[in-house]
Amino acid sequence: MEVGRLNLKNPIMLASGILGSHVGSLNRIAKQAGAVVTKSVGLEGREGYKNPCIVTWECGILNAVGLSSPPAKDFARELRSFNKTCPLIVSLFGSNPEEFVELVKIFDFADGFELNLSCPHAKGLGLEVGRDFDLVYEIIRKVKGKTNKPVFAKVSANLDYVELAKVCESAKADGIVAINTVRGMAIDIVSKRPVLSNVSGGVSGKAIKPIALKCVWDIYEEVNIPVIGCGGISNWKDVVEFALAGAKAVQVGSAFYHSYDVIGNILEGLNSYLRINGLRFEDLVGLAHRR
Amino acid sequence: MFCLRVRRVVRHSEKVSTLILEREVPSKPGQFLMVNVIGYEEIPLSLSSPNSITVKAVGETTKALVKFKGGEILGIRGPFGKSFTPSNRALIIAGGIGIAPLRYLYHWLNAEVTVFYGARSRDELVFLEEFEDVHVSTDDGSYGFKGNVVQLLKRSNVNFDCFDRIYCCGPPVMLKSLYELLKKNDALKKSEFSIERFMRCGIGLCGSCVLENGLRVCREGPVFRGDELTPVFERSLYKSHEDR
Repeated sequence: MEVGRLNLKNPIMLASGILGSHVGSLNRIAKQAGAVVTKSVGLEGREGYKNPCIVTWECGILNAVGLSSPPAKDFARELRSFNKTCPLIVSLFGSNPEEFVELVKIFDFADGFELNLSCPHAKGLGLEVGRDFDLVYEIIRKVKGKTNKPVFAKVSANLDYVELAKVCESAKADGIVAINTVRGMAIDIVSKRPVLSNVSGGVSGKAIKPIALKCVWDIYEEVNIPVIGCGGISNWKDVVEFALAGAKAVQVGSAFYHSYDVIGNILEGLNSYLRINGLRFEDLVGLAHRR
Repeated sequence: MFCLRVRRVVRHSEKVSTLILEREVPSKPGQFLMVNVIGYEEIPLSLSSPNSITVKAVGETTKALVKFKGGEILGIRGPFGKSFTPSNRALIIAGGIGIAPLRYLYHWLNAEVTVFYGARSRDELVFLEEFEDVHVSTDDGSYGFKGNVVQLLKRSNVNFDCFDRIYCCGPPVMLKSLYELLKKNDALKKSEFSIERFMRCGIGLCGSCVLENGLRVCREGPVFRGDELTPVFERSLYKSHEDR
């Protein structure tokens, strides 16, 4: 199936930031996934924030890992042993168009790129770049000028995502990934201090599913390029919901908390649903918008 | 996350302390806790009994921990990870602070246990008096055999066929030598290694502790069957005693 010029093995992708730092885990997940997205990488290595950087609670996960990653060149070497059992999408972060262009050159062997315009807890990167729509336009234009591989923009729910999606479309992005984690925090009532070393972080998991679903719905109404849904998807019913809202594919991340094989499990359920209903996945996309 | 108060601290030496927690954590030997030392960092630590952790001062956080006096509060996540599995005739091989999870195992096993225990010097040997059948080595010869624990094993002509499980924990160089020795003796499948990797989330998501074969130290480990570690010990930065 094709999503924004990217040929997916199936509609369930691995989301960025989860088990995407080493080729060992990517190779394992690639056997089941429609595509894998690596952990975001920048030109220079980043240590990330001190532990605790992840905490779970009843409704999901809160993290401020802080875009920890090796330098791009080291990560490129690591990814050379990717097993190619599905497309490899490299997630990139940077603060200006030149950095993104440089990164695209380093990862020229990737099948596609995802631009991280939405990480909510890194100074001068992610969401802080995504807020500047003119800058986003410049970044996508320059990246598109440098590569003919598909380029996706991952957007945040913490800003006017519909406007941003329109900017991405006008800059010729191949698709929108919605959404990244939503800003949040937790405070420990015994020590009476924020739990995360970075004070605030990003919320993922079940808690943000309705938020993500609404974002996909809204973006689908306003742009024509494909929308990839992401946020709290943990079973096949969630996938069906996102497809009905307009997602041409979805990404799964936090649900790996429950099982390393979560994508395989979702696919099994999804395929049964499609078979019973006599539908193809493509038939579901945006179906809930009919009046 | 929950909080536990440290009830009492046993200072084994300048660098090693056991922190006794106010209550037991439902767990099995080999499992670890993510311990948040408030004001410092959150770090993974093996349980040395259902209600204790044994720490060696290495970094900033562990240096602060060994100086605890009792009464302090720790943030706890876990217990996490896979534990050791039981057996009837056991061989425990420990190096340095690797004794921590194996000491928990020693008391948990309802079995005949032989212990081989190596450390740098006499003052780094902890819990020694708790073991009945124990063979000791120290690098500086201040106690027991002078040399490392793998040399002691070879020297003692241990017959690995006598044991139905071999449990190992210690520094990477020792584990690599041990892996090679156990492989030579065709004993990898009945051996269990507790290994360490840099860890962030502890719950299998962040990918920091992923091994070459995709297994996660925090979820599929930290205890692995010897033969699961072939890609780790046979192609990587790990050095054995002989390579040094």
